[in-house]
Formats: sequence, structure tokens, C-alpha cells
Amino acid sequence: MSHTELNDEANASKLESLSVRLDEAIQWLADAPNYAKPGKVRRVFDAARRLLMVEGGCAVLESRAAQFEASGVFNGSDWMYPQILLPALASLSLKSPVADTVIIEAISELRLLAIAMGDFDHPAMSAEQAHHYLTQVMALNLDLLFGTPSEAEREQQGRLALATRLLLRHLAQRIGYEHVIDQLVDEIWRILQQRPIQVDNIKKMVTQIAATRGNPDIDLGNSGQGADRLISSLYGTTQACREDPGVVVYQERLDSMDSGALQYEASGFARAMHDTGLVSPYHAVLVRHLQNQGSYLLSEALGLSSTGRDCLLCYDDLVHAIIKEGIFAQTAQGIYGLALMLERGILYQPPVAPALWRQISLPLSVYSKERLTLAYGYEPSPRARLLEGVLCMLGQPLGVGQGNNPTCQSARALSMWAYNDPDYLLQMVVWAARDDEIIIHFEGQPISSRDSVSGVAKELPFDLDPVSLIVVPHLDRIYAEMGRRCIGREGDPHRWVNPEFHGWWSGRGFRINVDVATGKLDKLEDFLRHFYASYHPYYNGNQPLIHPQPAGIAVTDSAARFIGWHAITVLRVSLDPQEVMRVYFFNPNNDSGQNWGDEVVVSTAGHGERFGESSLPFEQFASRLYIFHFDPLERGELANVSNEELQRVIDRVHRSWGADRVPAKELQADPGV
Amino acid sequence: MTEQKSAKRDPNKGYVALLGWSLSAVEAADKFDRRYVVVAPDWAEAYCKEHDIPYVPWNFERLNDRSMEIAQTLKDMGVDVSIPLFEETVEWAGAINSVLLDNPRLFGQSLLLRDKALMKRRAQLGGIRVGIFEEAHDKADVVRFLKRVNQTLLKLDGDPNDPIHLKAFDKAGCLGHRVIRTPDEVDTIPDEEFPVLMESHLDGWEFAVEAWIHNGKIRFLNISEYVTLGYSVFVPATPELEKYRDAITVQIEKLIKTFDIEFGFIHPEYFVTSDGEMYFGEVAYRPPGFKVFELLERAYGFNAYQGLILSFDPKTTEEEITNFFPKEVVDAKGVAGCFGVYPRRRVVSRLEIPAETEDHEYFESHELTPPVEETVTKRTAFGTHWGLIYFFGDDAHTMRDLLKHQEELDFYV
Repeated sequence: MSHTELNDEANASKLESLSVRLDEAIQWLADAPNYAKPGKVRRVFDAARRLLMVEGGCAVLESRAAQFEASGVFNGSDWMYPQILLPALASLSLKSPVADTVIIEAISELRLLAIAMGDFDHPAMSAEQAHHYLTQVMALNLDLLFGTPSEAEREQQGRLALATRLLLRHLAQRIGYEHVIDQLVDEIWRILQQRPIQVDNIKKMVTQIAATRGNPDIDLGNSGQGADRLISSLYGTTQACREDPGVVVYQERLDSMDSGALQYEASGFARAMHDTGLVSPYHAVLVRHLQNQGSYLLSEALGLSSTGRDCLLCYDDLVHAIIKEGIFAQTAQGIYGLALMLERGILYQPPVAPALWRQISLPLSVYSKERLTLAYGYEPSPRARLLEGVLCMLGQPLGVGQGNNPTCQSARALSMWAYNDPDYLLQMVVWAARDDEIIIHFEGQPISSRDSVSGVAKELPFDLDPVSLIVVPHLDRIYAEMGRRCIGREGDPHRWVNPEFHGWWSGRGFRINVDVATGKLDKLEDFLRHFYASYHPYYNGNQPLIHPQPAGIAVTDSAARFIGWHAITVLRVSLDPQEVMRVYFFNPNNDSGQNWGDEVVVSTAGHGERFGESSLPFEQFASRLYIFHFDPLERGELANVSNEELQRVIDRVHRSWGADRVPAKELQADPGV
Repeated sequence: MTEQKSAKRDPNKGYVALLGWSLSAVEAADKFDRRYVVVAPDWAEAYCKEHDIPYVPWNFERLNDRSMEIAQTLKDMGVDVSIPLFEETVEWAGAINSVLLDNPRLFGQSLLLRDKALMKRRAQLGGIRVGIFEEAHDKADVVRFLKRVNQTLLKLDGDPNDPIHLKAFDKAGCLGHRVIRTPDEVDTIPDEEFPVLMESHLDGWEFAVEAWIHNGKIRFLNISEYVTLGYSVFVPATPELEKYRDAITVQIEKLIKTFDIEFGFIHPEYFVTSDGEMYFGEVAYRPPGFKVFELLERAYGFNAYQGLILSFDPKTTEEEITNFFPKEVVDAKGVAGCFGVYPRRRVVSRLEIPAETEDHEYFESHELTPPVEETVTKRTAFGTHWGLIYFFGDDAHTMRDLLKHQEELDFYV
């Protein structure tokens, strides 16, 4: 008998005995009444952990998925509801230093695998959902799939770091590597279509794919084709950097190029940048190099249209100063922001150009420098980082994301200002970055971000773009303070807070369809008719929306269950290419392509959306809306919406977040089907 | 209080009150066929309400003139007997049961079982062998006792002393247990620990017994083997200890007679010396610590708490209790043991279960938690462990050696 056979035999007998222990432990837990379960989960965890460490253990755990679920091992935790689990959080759990967190996450993944493979019919999750979830988990944890544990992981997790690798390998083997790469690439493209400002994670993923494709041990078959463009847009975009030679070598090559060759480089980078929204570090080297070569080549390198080129020529000095101070290999994304900012023509607004000059030489407070350095490192300077952030925000106002923080209000405000009032945004940045204080007036009373005790967020966020990093903590405290000043008033505080917080253009008229005291639906039909009358071009005299308006959404999960209230901006309402009336809006969360259940799927591309916009058909949008603002001086009569259309919207409300909010009398009036 | 809805509860069987809060006991009672009620401090109320656990609030402080109140409450409810779950509720059970069962002697008996000095005297009177013991009221008493014990042992000045043991009168298990070898060490005892019970050290093999008694007869007798006192225990014991089973049974019967125990559960500790002589250490009238009940369930498959209820319930029939308990040793499916972890280093930063422990075929689970503080408080008395590790396997010797080996490993580094 060969050595490996002996090993296999030992492994098999180990698996066998561990499986028996696992089954006993699961049974023991299953037999316990609910209140006694917490004390018995341990044995299941310990049995599961030992299996995770053994070759083939994942398969055993996967085969017990239904028993796991039934035994109550997930009770009282988020894992009890697989439909609400977020793939992004899975990687945090899998890398947690707390062994139990890793184990419950692992068990949960394997349960989802059983669901995805059709071996376990779950009441709350379909095989497709589970499959989608797992591919995302794998995409986000490709490092676990291919990499070896880092020093930090080993230090924090010990041998468990190997277990998570076995887990990911098992997931990938069951679902298929090629599948992961394809999904991953599709996923990256889907997110890139929303043109987020923060692309660090995407860059990491692209790098991971590049490394995977470069690894001769992994046979990807025909998959991963769509990755070419992504990889090349970061590494090897043009002829002169095809083999990713490093910035020093590339600079040397640029030094010896004539203008024809430079133009070739410039247009190559510009194409890649506008195609993907990703900017190669080499691009920054080129743009800095072109500073001395005249505006034509620079315009080519930025990929400008005639509008942008015009703007560049008018503000030539300013643009060059911006490049000199803000564009480096580490801040290459600023090039994309710069290009889009020029295209928007906002430099023609009188205060914007001087405000940008101020930004370029802005002295930062010690505190701001520290925060920027902590988040992004020493190179280049914190000021250059902030400048990059400003360029990106002005160029991509709809690319603002709130990170993993409960600060949707502040993110929405930043986006709205960048979109509608860039000069005001620049002022906010200065106050925050230079003075460490922002003052906004609320009903005539100044509110200082310094005096306000606490904001919505419990901790200072770090996973943000440079501007948000500096400004959001101030805005968050002011927003929370405004809320505190409304305590005791009847009704929803957003009525007063939103217009004061966001700007004069937020309508002072306010409608809400939820009774704040009871949480029940309130005058839903009037609310909807009013919304149609204010926003729907067919009912408001064909008036396009002028200013972005804050609105409140009842967010539902893919099973149409209520999750929470969320702040968004309504940007415009118009017909899409398929002649469907749609509401286009900005969602400050990081990935707007969400399934809100009951066939309400938020679209981010393919229905006339501009970069960063989300959209829904008007009816579907109305069915998730709970707060909107309007101008009280505009015509206020309720729209004569057809009963069928209105009923469809109301039905959608009742089928989703309004299910348990229907007031008693409305139920009685219901004829009862 | 809500009516107990479970259909399986038999009104013809006893109605028991559990004194003190133990989730394992509640769970066992909940799954059993008898009506039960938990008597616990009011912090348990919300939990009991939430989970439909029948509950009567009572704060177990010292017995006082209100003590009759709880007895009367339970009597009015129709409760037949109360069961102490912790050392602190033993005299409460005695007081309550003397009312419920109309037997005033039960209270006196419980006081005997609560005081280690009284207990030893009573055992001595009953012809049970005990070591030398005395009560100490201050440090001087301890020094005197240490000297006298060692004189008795014919030690000369300069010979290493035999140690003596100090124990609190009325605390469970190892709480407050100290070993003193030299007069210098006496100074380390805080004054507030007095009075204490002092005992001579017995060079023997220490073990514990769990005995379920009904109608004055032993219904199940388990011998728990300690590998190292305060560290580890396993059941059933090795054949080397089990060979004393008959002798041990005789000792337990003596104990039952001496303390006049008709029903319930006792947990005595003994030493057996190399010549086979048994020395009585102490006895408790409540479930043992160190999760021995859980180990018994793992090894035999019966629920020891349900056994407890049966042995206390006056309405339990002979047939019922005979059928409930398995046959000792032969019916065990395996050996279950646990090990109490103490950090060995003075400064620790994290919990790291040694691979050899975790990978051992017998390893089952652990309940260790990450350290809260980096500095480990120096253990003065035996102290409390930081959590238990459970093992289960086929062979008692492997178990014993495995548990012993754990003492040499670091779980907190």
C-alpha cells in the first residue's frame, strides 16, 4: 500500500469519526429548547471547525446544510436570514480573528452552496440567489482562493486561515473557477458602469484577476476574456507600457518620443479611461510629461470633446497647476475627474475657477493632514490627495458613495452640491479641511460641527473618498444636531432638516405617507396623486425637474421585505429609450444595482441612465417612495391619475414595505378578495 | 403563573421546585414528564417569562423569618418537594422540604450538610474514617494545627512538612481551598477568610461519588475520577478505581445511614489510601461542579438532572426509577472527561488552543473565551478556571493520560 493511500485511509477514517461527532452535536442542539440552544452551539462549532480543517470536510458540512439550519445553529444571528447576507461582509467574517465568526460564516456559505446546487430547498432563498451570492463571495475573496495566508492572517487566525482556504477552494470546485472569473469580470463591469469615485477595491480585484491569469497552474479555459480590457486599462494600456515596465522606465521612453508617438500614447490612455473609468498610473506619468508639450496633446490625453477642450483652453493655467499639484501615479484617478469636470463646463461659473485656485494651495489643518495620511499614506502629499478627491467629486458627482457607514444623508448632500452647486461644495471642503469646522444655519440659528456632540455614525469612517473623509464627519454631526433641534415637533423631522441642510432649492413643501406616531400608512392615495402632480411630466404640465430634490425611500430586500429608510436624490423624470416614464435618481450607497423585490429591480445601465444614475419606472419608484419635497407655490391640485395605475402602485406598497403598515380602517374598507 | 401546557406532564407524578437558576436543570425539567417550577432571584423573571418557564421569584439570602413564606407559597401551589441546585440553596431546600413533607428533621439534616466541620463530626460519630481536622478562627490556630499535625507524623525540625488543607465551611468544591506547608504561608491568608476548616493532608487517591438515592436505597452510583484535583475529571473511572466499587458502595450506605438520608442526591469526596482504606472528605447535597452531570449524559445517555428529579420526588415509583438508570460502567458508551484551563503565563494576549489538543481524536468542544485582560491575576487559592475543554472517547486510560497532558500545555499565550 502506497504512502498516499495510507494517508487517504487515515483521512477517510478521520472524516468518518468527525462526521459522527458532528451529527451527534447537531442532534443535541436540535433537541434543545430555544432558550437552551446558545449553550449547545459550541459543540456543533467545534465539530464543524475540525471538519473544516480536514480535506473533504467541507463536503460533509455541505451535506448537512438542512440539518444545520433546522437545528437552530443560526438562531438569533444575521445568518438566520440568508437573504439579507451581504457578500462584502462575508470576507470580513472569514478573516475575523474570532474563530466562531469564521466558523458560522463558513457553515453558512456551505449551506448556501447546498441551496445553490439544488440539494436544499430553502424557504427564503432560491438556488439562483444563493449561486449569485456565492459567486460574489468568491469574487471578493479571490485572495483566499489563490493566495497564501498573509502574515496578518496567520497572526490573527492561526490555522483557521487554512480552513478558509479549503472552504473557498471547495466553493470554487463546486461552482467552477471559470465561472467565478466570468462573474467577477461581469460584476466589475457592472459596478464600473456606475462610475464610482472609489475604485480601490475594483483595482485590487483586477490585479487579482491579472495574477490569476498569469498563474500557469490555473486553467481558466475560455473564461475571463472580458478581463483583458480591465487589466490593460490599469497595466499595459498602450504600446509603450504593454509589458508593465514600471513608471521609471516608462518616463524614459516618453522622454525619447516625438509628438506623433506621444499622441498615440495619449489617445490610447484616453480611450481606456473613458471606456472603463479606471486610470492607469502610467497615464499620470504621461499627463505630467505633457504639461510642457502644449494643450493639444493634453486635451488628447484627457480624451476631451469640443466642450471640454474649450474649457481647457480657457483655463489653461489652472489646469496645468492642478496637474502639477494633484496628479501623480498614486492619484491617477484625478485625471478622470479632471476630464469630466472640464466636460461639465462648470469652470464657467464665476466662483468655481478661483475656488479651485484656492484649493490648489489650501493649507490643511494638522488634523486633516493626519486623517488623510492615515487613510491614504504619505505619498503624495495630503493636499494632493484632497485635490484628487475634489476633482473626482466635481467630475463624478453621482459617484459619491457612503462606504460602510450610516451617513447616506451626508453623502447625498455632497453629491447634490457637486452636481448643483459646485462652488458651495468647494467652500465646505475649505472649511472642513482648513478650519476643522463647518457652520450651517438652521432656522436662523448657527450650528457648528465643533459644538455638536455626536453624529449618526458611531465611529469616524475611513472607507471613503478624500473629500468625504474630511467633510462627512462634520456634516454628519450637523445633520444629527438639526434632528435633535426638531425633537418634540410633531411629524417627521426631515420636513425641516432637508431644505436647511441641502440647500435653498430643496422644496419647502413636504409630504410623507407614514404616520410618524403609529408607523402606519397615512393618506397614501393623496400622497401618490400629489407626487404625480409634482414630478410626472404628464401631470405637471410637462415641466422637467429643475433642481435635484431629496427624497426618502423605504428600502426593501429582494423578498420585498422592509429593511430601512434611505435617503436618495431625485434627479430627473423622463421617457427612456423604450418610451417608459422613468425616475432617475442618485443613491448614495456604493452599489445601486439592487433588487428591491416584487420585480422592482433598480437599473443602473441600459435604460438611458447617465453614469451613476439609478432608475426605475415611475410606478415602481412611487411604490417605494415615502417622503418627497415640492415647491408649495407650484400648482398643488392632486393629479388625476387613473385608478388602475394608482391601484397598481398601492398594491405594490401593500405587497412590500407597507404590508404590516396598513391602517385598520383601510383594511375594513377592503372588499376582501 | 401560567398553567403548564405541555400535555406530557403527568398530574399523578410529583410537582417539583428547582431552587436556584441552572439552565441545564431547567431544560431537563422542561423535557421531563413532571410539573416543575423554578425558584430563582428576580433577575431570572424576564427570561422565564420570555421562554414560558414556570417561575417563582425568591432571593436566596440568609434564612430569616420570611423563609416560611416561600415554603407556604410552594405548598399552596401544590409542590411536593424542592430540589437544591447549588450549595447556597441546600439549607433552603431543607427548610422548605420540612414544611412540604411535614418532616422537621430535614432542616436539621440540611444544616449538617452545609457546614463542613459539623459534617465531619457527624461522620466521625457514625464510624466513618476522617482525617484530622479542626476549626481555625485566626492565623495562630493555623500555625498551631500545622505544627501539631507534623509532630503527630513524627517529623523532626527541618524535615519538610506535610501540608494541611484549609477550606471555607460553607462553600462549594474548591472555592476558598488553600494548601499550607510552612508557617510563612499562613501570612498570605487574608483575615476575612476566617473562620476556616483545617484538615490534615491525606496521601491517597482522591475521587468523588455521585449517588442518587430513593427510599433510602442507592439507585445509581457513579465514581468520578480526578486526574488532578481542580483540573480534570472523567467518568466512568478507570478499572483501577472501579475495583473499589463494592467498598465504596459500603461507604456510601454508611453515609446514608449516618446522615439519615431517605431521598435525593449526594456528592461525597473520598480518599483511598494505598492499603485500600477509605477516608471521608466531605459531602454535598446538590449536583457537583465541573459539569459532571453533562459528562454523565455524554457517557451514559441519561439525563442526570432528570435522575435528580426522580430521586427527590416522593411520588416516584420503584419501577420508574429502576428503569430510568442504566447499569453502572457496563452501559457506558464511552468515557467523557473535561479539563479546566488556567492560564500558565503571567501575561497573555490571546486564546490559542494547541493543535495537538484540537486534533486529538477525543477532543469534543471547548468553552474558552478570549482573555479580557492581559495580566493574569495570581492564583492564591485554587480559584476558578477560565473555561472547560470536553473530551470523549473509548478508553479510560487514554482519557486519563490525555487530561494529565493538558496540564503541560498553554491555552493562553
